[in-house]
Amino acid sequence: MEQRLANTWRMTVNEKKFIESALLSGLRVDGRNVYDYRKLSINFGKEDGSAEVHLGQTRVMGIVTSQLVQPYRDRPNEGTLSIFTEFSPMADPSFEPGRPGEFAVELGRVIDRGLRESRAVDTESLCVLAGKLVWAIRIDLHILDNGGNLVDAANVAALAALSTFRRPECSLGGENGQEVIVHPPEAREPLPLIIHHLPIAVTFAFFSDESTLVVDPTHQEEAVMAGRMTATLNTNGDICAIQKAGGEGVPQSVIMHCLRIAATKAADVTVKIRDTVEAYNTERALRKIKRHSAPVALDVSGTLPNLRKNQVKSEDQREVSGSVGTQVEKLKLMNERKNSDQSNDIEDTSKFSKKQKGSQSEKSTQQASPKGSAEDMKAISPATESAKIASQTHGEKTLKDAVKPKHKRKKKAPSAVDGS
Amino acid sequence: MENKPSSFVDRPVVPGDVVLDLSKMSNQTIKIGGGLRQESDFITVMKAGKLRFSKPNKYWVESSQKRYMPCVEDTVLGIVVDTKAENFLVDIKGPALAFLPVLAFEGGTRRNIPKFEQGTLLYARVAKANPGTNPELSCTDASGKAAEFGPLKDGYSFECSTGLSRMLLSSPTCPVLEEFGKKLSFEIAAGLNGRVWVNAASPSTTIVVSNAIMKSESLSGVQQRIMVRKLLDRIQ
Repeated sequence: MEQRLANTWRMTVNEKKFIESALLSGLRVDGRNVYDYRKLSINFGKEDGSAEVHLGQTRVMGIVTSQLVQPYRDRPNEGTLSIFTEFSPMADPSFEPGRPGEFAVELGRVIDRGLRESRAVDTESLCVLAGKLVWAIRIDLHILDNGGNLVDAANVAALAALSTFRRPECSLGGENGQEVIVHPPEAREPLPLIIHHLPIAVTFAFFSDESTLVVDPTHQEEAVMAGRMTATLNTNGDICAIQKAGGEGVPQSVIMHCLRIAATKAADVTVKIRDTVEAYNTERALRKIKRHSAPVALDVSGTLPNLRKNQVKSEDQREVSGSVGTQVEKLKLMNERKNSDQSNDIEDTSKFSKKQKGSQSEKSTQQASPKGSAEDMKAISPATESAKIASQTHGEKTLKDAVKPKHKRKKKAPSAVDGS
Repeated sequence: MENKPSSFVDRPVVPGDVVLDLSKMSNQTIKIGGGLRQESDFITVMKAGKLRFSKPNKYWVESSQKRYMPCVEDTVLGIVVDTKAENFLVDIKGPALAFLPVLAFEGGTRRNIPKFEQGTLLYARVAKANPGTNPELSCTDASGKAAEFGPLKDGYSFECSTGLSRMLLSSPTCPVLEEFGKKLSFEIAAGLNGRVWVNAASPSTTIVVSNAIMKSESLSGVQQRIMVRKLLDRIQ
């Protein structure tokens, strides 16, 4: 018992009084303005659907997983969304392992309400077989460090994880079209969830002095505050949820003022989430392109990714020399089969060799390879040649016309010699 | 060989390192501080950190952690948790709560026991510290005078690592405090247990000084001065 007493976090009277008196003059202890958010950074994990959010010192991790289940009776063609929170004892001395405390339940409920009742995630698209099988999306929120304002950070983590989550594609098959086949990610590209809008939670803390309120309270400010309110809204101007559980009474004018502030904050956070998610998606797409086997005419937007892809592929082809005969044959077969397929779907057996070289080629794309590696080539022509794959081919150079980096022209003379 | 201090001084050491061989040194009294242990003829290290030596004969290991290990004669900042009949229970960020006898004040008698509410910040000295028992504090110095010990009023307190609080207490004055002292006037009390108290006339001064101190742990002296100058330029 005494051990627990020794480990509890305590606040001094001096600190409490100082925080309140500084707020009277509009100063916050960490130097922020009254309506400022702390620095928000979102990092994604290796797998789709995992995000870690740092809001100042607060850290929350969100992980999204999916499972095929039977739908609820009263909603036979809608998927389900459920949120689980885990308050790790390493986040705060007052968090105990085991049953979630009152605050944990409240946090889960606020986020759940913001997502589900505003219909941010489209649940009807999650239906596979009406009345029999639907996708159940499960969001796990792990609190890693409690630096104050867990609700906002956890909400951003949930949204970021949902935005980058990909669920497996499934199709109906079997005799009477009643069997559901779930395609592995290697066979068919997993699909993202349909998210209509991003409901952002903004938390306000009220203090005993009527006119003082702050946005995004820290741990110390939370210990001193007299009441708290969370408003969840999106950039379209809809208010998805408001939570004010207990605490000091607040006049109506203050609530309206808070909602106006929350609208501007929500816009900032939405932009931030969208930008990081887009950066992640671009990086993910590039990763997929790198692993691509052969230079099929890919429908990737923009010429620059094309250039990079060509360079990469030609690097691969140049380096993959010698005992690649069988692989080349497979390449040829694969290409013939998949020439018309979607760009990013394919991952074949020879890909692992590309992957290994992939990292090297990424780095070396910048250095124009002396053999004019950026030349485009059709897979068939080098495949039909000997196992020693030269970087130059006689095939048509479809994309070369579109993309003409300078070094290619210079190296044309020596490269022609190398062609075999 | 007799007066040569150990070759490990001011170097990082890890538990198990033997830093002194007593059989090679004769007729010397060595004082061992925290983090060192005597095993028959050897002095071995128990805690990872830097070995320090102060003339004429004191050795100890210094490391920076969040948790504080109580050591006798350390000055610490404690928070009152509870009042018992004989002692105040004070939290000093150590493994156990510390006892502060109700009479351990200058001129303290049964008649004038001070009343501390929960959360009062006290500046005290560690009088007794044995592993396994609760440490004992005192608000008087060795001769019984108050000497700045006692409750601290107003101001702002925050927590830091033990290494940072040692740096704040080092002499010559730590660069952060020196630079601030040139332009601003403030009061500061640093406890070796990783708690700091800052007080100034205006809240903005207090906030600037506190945040600068918190950020200065990993900065060198020169970097600290640059940071302080930038902050002062911004607020003036």
